[in-house]
Amino acid sequence: MFSCILPAEQMDRFIEHLSASHRVFGPVRKGVECSFDRVTTASDLWFDYHTTILPPKKFFTPPRETIFTFQSEEISKIEDTIPVEKQVLLGVHACDMSSFGFLDRVFLGFRSDPRYLRRRNNFLVFALTCKEVAETCFCLSMGTGPASPPGYDVLMTDIGGRYLLEAGTNEGRDVLKPLNLSQATPEDIEAKRACLERLKGEFKRTVDRARMVQLAYYNQEHSVWKKNGDICLACGQCAMVCPTCFCFDVRDKVDVSLANGERYREWDVCLLKEFAEVALGGNFRKSRTARLRQFMCHNLSYGAMQYNLTKCVGCGRCIKACPVHIDITEIARELKEGSS
Amino acid sequence: MKDPYARDPAEILNVETETADTKTFTLKFVDVERQMNFGFIPGQFIVISIPGVGEAMFSISSSTSNRKTFSTTIRRVGRVTGILHSKKAGDKILVGGPYGSGWPMAELEGKDVLIVTGGVGLPSPRPVITYIDEHRNDYGFLEVLYGTKTPAESIFVREYEAWRKMKDTRLALTVDAISEGMTWTHNVGVVTTLFNEMMTKPRNAGVLICGPEVMMHFVVLDLMNRGFHEDQLYLSLERRMHCGIAQCGHCQLGPKFVCKDGPVFKYSEIKTLPDSGI
Repeated sequence: MFSCILPAEQMDRFIEHLSASHRVFGPVRKGVECSFDRVTTASDLWFDYHTTILPPKKFFTPPRETIFTFQSEEISKIEDTIPVEKQVLLGVHACDMSSFGFLDRVFLGFRSDPRYLRRRNNFLVFALTCKEVAETCFCLSMGTGPASPPGYDVLMTDIGGRYLLEAGTNEGRDVLKPLNLSQATPEDIEAKRACLERLKGEFKRTVDRARMVQLAYYNQEHSVWKKNGDICLACGQCAMVCPTCFCFDVRDKVDVSLANGERYREWDVCLLKEFAEVALGGNFRKSRTARLRQFMCHNLSYGAMQYNLTKCVGCGRCIKACPVHIDITEIARELKEGSS
Repeated sequence: MKDPYARDPAEILNVETETADTKTFTLKFVDVERQMNFGFIPGQFIVISIPGVGEAMFSISSSTSNRKTFSTTIRRVGRVTGILHSKKAGDKILVGGPYGSGWPMAELEGKDVLIVTGGVGLPSPRPVITYIDEHRNDYGFLEVLYGTKTPAESIFVREYEAWRKMKDTRLALTVDAISEGMTWTHNVGVVTTLFNEMMTKPRNAGVLICGPEVMMHFVVLDLMNRGFHEDQLYLSLERRMHCGIAQCGHCQLGPKFVCKDGPVFKYSEIKTLPDSGI
């Protein structure tokens, strides 16, 4: 596949080139955190970031999305509610790249959701090799990083003052070609390999994945659930920031005439009490322990049984977001130790 | 690509009052082709959608051989069902589906079929009763055990006579209690109290169970004690659902999506799962 070298000082030209034909999004500094946001110049970009607050799923299945609008009997079509403009998402790390494979199976597997498909197809994705491993990262042990899985249109790797750009698709190649950048050499490829090797040595957190699917599935009464359920605040941040959590609620909203309004879907999380509530006050996961177990088991076990891909991609966002420091890698470790 | 979140207009042809809070709605898709292609398996469900109010899922309660109309039997419990109950013949609503796997009609072939159900759990296995009647030689003995809190809560009462007259079929009714002065010639007690008189034996039988969780829990326990195997017991589960296509995530039970893999499960499939409610 096509590969070339982008000198760091040409990043402005690079963004300008992309912006000519696409709306560009990338990691942007937000206080001390980072967020995938609109990028207009190279100075907007923060390529040294660890993880973003919200994962890039927000572009394909937004936090709140119109399903249709209605005016009396008239119901809108998808074309009315989702723009078709071509867009580029820059700087996606390996863990988040892996999340796309999982989300694709959810939204395009059993039945195709045309909203997801339309948004997904509108985006060119530029993956970015991480520069360092954060305290909360464990993609190496989940098999989702630090090398990006396929699926990117272009993979960018900082190899010291310059970026190695490798096209992963024809679309990616076609975007890069007009830049007339110099071709990458075997030394550049070697520099990327060395960078990945260095990263592999930096991980502080691990999950032993062997038999984890079965361990979580068959240990529903393990003490680890109650221990963590007792301190869980059921705030749901872990699932909000999870790149593969896909659940949503469907709601209707009407204007004062009661005739016009919209049906929309909104992210929902299994940690919240109302999530499994049914008519007449029935609730299949009333206790926090049951809800925490659902979130953790979905990530470590059920997801793999549903889609043949481990749901957890090791990004560490849930660990970072948890106000009471519940740590999925610790839970995995306790499951392992307490049930050999 | 057809949008799986789009619903199709259907006309309400008839509304039948079953009990003080339950009505059966006979429906027909406005689009002739949609109605013609609307085939379903007993135990599958539909979504009924009222823009501005919301959506909810309901079992299809009519016969699978009727391709001209279909019906659903709905208890008034919330916002969507409340609005639905105010609808009359001639009104239009939006409908999607069918969804779910349904009762295992093929696996049950050649076997005796026992249906144990309670309250508004009966609409789901009702198409099984008509299906077996229409394919009488493919199935063994059919026994229906139906329990409600009081006689006033029984639904499909007008059909009991016909069910009793079906070949190789037995219907047994029970209520938890009767009020003073009321005539009730059937059993009094929870549905499991009908088991002593039951004809169906574990050998070569399948059991279809649909009702409140607490009922299903005790039905399963009791039947296992009577020698039924966990692979013979099929349960139809209720869950919160927003999509019917395994995307909204609400109906997940362990690795299962109740909307896609169920709502009918063998007891053996769900017995180790937490949160099954059974």
